[in-house]
Amino acid sequence: MAGMESQNLATEAQQVRVNFTSSEPDLQLPEGKSQLLVPGDIKRYGLSRVLNSGSMLNTSSPVPLDFLVNGTFLRGSLEDYLKENGLSFETTVTLQYVRSLIPPVYQGSFEHDDWITGIDVLSGGKQRLLTSSYDGLFRVWNASNQIIATSPSSSNGGHSAPVKAANFLSSSQIASAGMDRTIRLWKYTESDDFTGQLKPTLELYGHKGSIESMDIHTSSGRIVTASSDGGIGLWSTSKSSAPEAPASLLPGAGVNVSKKRKIASSAPQRGPLSIMQIHSSPASAAIFHPADSTVAYSASEDHTIRTMDLTTSLVVSTLTTAHPLMSLCSLPGISSALLAAGTTARHITLVDPRASATKTSVMTLRGHKNTVTSISASPENNYSLVSGSYDGTCRIWDLRSVRAGSKAEGGGSVSDAVYVIERESQRGKKRGDVPGRGCKVFGVVWDKQWGIVSGGEDKQVQINRGSGLLAN
Amino acid sequence: NIDPSSLLPKLPRPEELKPFPTVTSIEFRGHEGRVRSLAIDPTGMFLATGGDDGTVKLWELKSGKQMDSIKLSSDEPVDAVRWRPGKDASILSAAVSEDIYFLVPSYIDPELHQASRDVLDAGFGYATHSQQLMTASGARKDPPAKWTRPGTRLEDQGVLLKATVRSPIKVIHWHRRGDFFCTVSPSGQKSSVAIHTLSKHLTQIPFRKLPGLAQTAQFHPSRPLFFVATQRTIRCYDLQKQELVKALQPGARWISTFDIHPGGDNLVVGSYDRRLCWHDLELSNRPYKTMRFHPEAIRAVKFHRSFPLFADSSDDGSLQIFHGKVTNDLMADPTIVPLKTLKGHKVVNKLGVMDIDWHPTSPWVVSAGADGTCRLWT
Ligand SMILES: [Mg+2]
Repeated sequence: MAGMESQNLATEAQQVRVNFTSSEPDLQLPEGKSQLLVPGDIKRYGLSRVLNSGSMLNTSSPVPLDFLVNGTFLRGSLEDYLKENGLSFETTVTLQYVRSLIPPVYQGSFEHDDWITGIDVLSGGKQRLLTSSYDGLFRVWNASNQIIATSPSSSNGGHSAPVKAANFLSSSQIASAGMDRTIRLWKYTESDDFTGQLKPTLELYGHKGSIESMDIHTSSGRIVTASSDGGIGLWSTSKSSAPEAPASLLPGAGVNVSKKRKIASSAPQRGPLSIMQIHSSPASAAIFHPADSTVAYSASEDHTIRTMDLTTSLVVSTLTTAHPLMSLCSLPGISSALLAAGTTARHITLVDPRASATKTSVMTLRGHKNTVTSISASPENNYSLVSGSYDGTCRIWDLRSVRAGSKAEGGGSVSDAVYVIERESQRGKKRGDVPGRGCKVFGVVWDKQWGIVSGGEDKQVQINRGSGLLAN
Repeated sequence: NIDPSSLLPKLPRPEELKPFPTVTSIEFRGHEGRVRSLAIDPTGMFLATGGDDGTVKLWELKSGKQMDSIKLSSDEPVDAVRWRPGKDASILSAAVSEDIYFLVPSYIDPELHQASRDVLDAGFGYATHSQQLMTASGARKDPPAKWTRPGTRLEDQGVLLKATVRSPIKVIHWHRRGDFFCTVSPSGQKSSVAIHTLSKHLTQIPFRKLPGLAQTAQFHPSRPLFFVATQRTIRCYDLQKQELVKALQPGARWISTFDIHPGGDNLVVGSYDRRLCWHDLELSNRPYKTMRFHPEAIRAVKFHRSFPLFADSSDDGSLQIFHGKVTNDLMADPTIVPLKTLKGHKVVNKLGVMDIDWHPTSPWVVSAGADGTCRLWT
């Protein structure tokens, strides 16, 4: 008996007491089962098996589980966790279990002719994809990798320089904008699933620099644009309510525009509702407030995020960050709406744009190895997002997973990526010392039907699974 | 010489001197053969590069996308590319052998395009006029440069003006106002340094009695002074009084490059014999500090226009980034702190990083490699 007892003691010495909790209503443990002694070297898989055993969760089929400890996913063993955090083996570790994540597996690619600058999607009814490109064109694709419409060349009424953004205003209207400083509106129709037609309906002039990004508000018929000259534009999509175009910016205003660039314009030309010249460096993004189309936000290389009242065209607040900002997205957030801004300093900064917010910087998402160029909120929940970077990856983030930032990271709350999506085009290729060489990502969209759609320097539209990636 | 490590303990630590560039963000690939020169445009949006393949390329700086490529020569390299300062026009100058080409990018807006053309064309009327005057005086010699249209092929690509001097140009430097620029033709004997007036299509040779072979030259950033480097000496001339103000002796055997601090009172010199010398112009004609960080020749040195940063580049393939802070206090010495060695370019045929330039407003630097690539370091 004495021998057995000491053996038990020896075994127990390596064990750790855990307390399981879960906010998943259909995965609650029976009463009295939430505390357990488990071996210290147990990892995620082992814990998942323990919980799925008959005496614990009584599910019809095993549910793969992940475990959050102190807000971070458990990746190594419990032992490792205790040691890394300087905790005694006597500590009771609280493990929150959540449904295990399905990785964003690669689903397919669309081949493009040139670098892709941006992506938009249509879903719900017809599934359509819209890509804009450095070749000065945008293209509409169907769900079976086929281009069903291509915008006309500049001599036929299209853009005369790279297109930086193209968006569906509806299933029958498209807006495009880019380095020729114009926004062009198009009527889009389809004869069948393989043939679409684009007819130019309006050309908008007003920016003096390249238009880097735009956002649309379909019901109010408004567009906001961000320009490399630091200006933010507000535009009407309706010919009758748009002001006259500024004559000096129209094609041909410079008498000597070379012959080959002479533009055959067939669409009416109009000007902006307003140009807010508010940034001292290039503006990289402008977006509407998700719930109020009279408010917009802009991000700039001048380190600031500005909130604009679009009825007065005035800046109502300015948030100054520590780095040039290259992308912007609004997120529902966990407790309040947030803005996510991608920086040239390889991270994403989350800010609370409300004037009442006590601290503006809420969290920093770290892990990218180069400039963050594009951000898209999850269509499934209010706590996750995907980002695209010059490092040639898209990363998926879960705002519930938070740790304290190290001294080198400048402290604060930090979240690490849950998944890293590499470019399929680079599979088997040797990596150079420059992160993302040859495969910079310029645009990413996370859509319920399409999944995670990204594009960039590798001339590929890459689609990855986007549903069920994160636990509820 | 001062051992750089002996300087370190008294100085602030690099971490306290952020921001400064540390990593390559963008690689620019497209040139065949060496990239010899590069420059970021005054807006900070575009990068111009010139190389052994005889082309000038224009790139979107932040993405690395090539926007344009213009073949200026089928058999000779582009030795220098420099933007005309100012945002009132967008004009790139590029040197190929004896020619300086002026081009207006196609991507700019119609207003700016027209303004840029006007700046380039203004001198055609003046040149005709002055030629008539001089011919009437009967004492006219061949002008030091011919200003002409470069021909239809190039004009269609935005290259709208050409000036031709007598010897191959290696250096172009613009005066801050964007009307004067100088060129240096080291093999040009008495006419090695030329000062050009763009608005008049006028070329003058002010320093015919320069002792030694001119290597490079610069206008002072704010005063009417002009600096010319020969192999061992940098001479400073007063342009109004037409007289020598001072002669700096960096102690280098062969000066390759120098740059004047935007404040105007300090200057850094780089040399083929691997020296980097900091001169305080208010102090002696000898350097305030001489540093040797590179095992190979220094090719370029450049101050940032607003951050207290400067950088050099070397045939060892690296760039060295420094903190360089000067004060208005005459008694206070400049603070010089080596911050970071940037490695990435490959050395090809013993040549490394040929040229560097700073972004006008961000603490970012670009580098031109003999390996055929350029890099943006952020
Ligand atoms: Mg001093």
